[in-house]
Amino acid sequence: MSRNAYFDLTDAFNQDGRIVLLASGQAVVHYRLAIMSKDGDWIVRETDAACRRVRTVLAERRARYRPGAPLDPRWLAGGWSSHFELTDDGGRRLRCDFFSRPPRVSPQDLEALFAASEAPAVVDVESLIRMKRTQRAKDYPVIGELARLLPPDRELELTTDPDRVIELAPRYASDRPAARAAREGRLALVLALAAEADRLQQDDRRRVDVYERASEPFLRAFRELDRDALALPQSHDRLCRLAERLLPMTVGEPGREDAR
Amino acid sequence: MLGDDDLNLRDMTDEELDAAWDLWFDLAQATNDSDPPYTHGVFVNLTWDDVALPDDGRPDAP
Repeated sequence: MSRNAYFDLTDAFNQDGRIVLLASGQAVVHYRLAIMSKDGDWIVRETDAACRRVRTVLAERRARYRPGAPLDPRWLAGGWSSHFELTDDGGRRLRCDFFSRPPRVSPQDLEALFAASEAPAVVDVESLIRMKRTQRAKDYPVIGELARLLPPDRELELTTDPDRVIELAPRYASDRPAARAAREGRLALVLALAAEADRLQQDDRRRVDVYERASEPFLRAFRELDRDALALPQSHDRLCRLAERLLPMTVGEPGREDAR
Repeated sequence: MLGDDDLNLRDMTDEELDAAWDLWFDLAQATNDSDPPYTHGVFVNLTWDDVALPDDGRPDAP
């Protein structure tokens, strides 16, 4: 019987030491909440050695680059993401996404996760919730389920489930507007949660828009490459040369300093 | 989206969870051609029109 292919890849990347943490949809599988993502996403250590190790494992599996930044610390440090695709032995498509600066997660929290070598190589629940605060509406019910795994005082700070806020708000102190609104009734609470989610979605949309605009010249050039030119390992140096000309290493992400 | 069946993942053994994921992943391959190009990262808003390569073989590929 096959194991989750993305769990296997995580082990392969980390074979000689922890350099990646499984995130997003497959982390949700790890926490046994839902099976809902076909892709694998990892936080990778922002070092040449870590990137080289990941590229080596992917090359062994005949992966090729998809449009995106080179898997190289120079671009990862600017918040960019790198994307690959491969076909497993069963003919199934695997997509592998990497970044080193997950939005809304502090460097200190990340460093602690990489240092905890005895724990599973998976992003912790609270960081995962912060990463899930995206522009996509479908991520917010998942946040509510993830928050159930936290201690109740932290659940109150992060849950998107109005029933849980109603239950927890009288028992724990909180400055969260939704927790305060719970004292005014359910409608006020639901409106406060909706306003909070909308603000988070808009913040994330603005963040991503900056990268999208900055990547336009690079992506236009990327599309001119033929498919054979994207196979690892030979594609990496070529992609770096293209990115050195057309993909800025930093883009001035809005609110980034505050978020970190 | 998160029904009782989903939440029952918690009661599965590791082997059962792997088997469930493997079956789901097999079935999910059927939608590969209609999946959005990205689900995470800073390119998540791009469409196939933005990123399709000339030899992608997609109906909307240039």
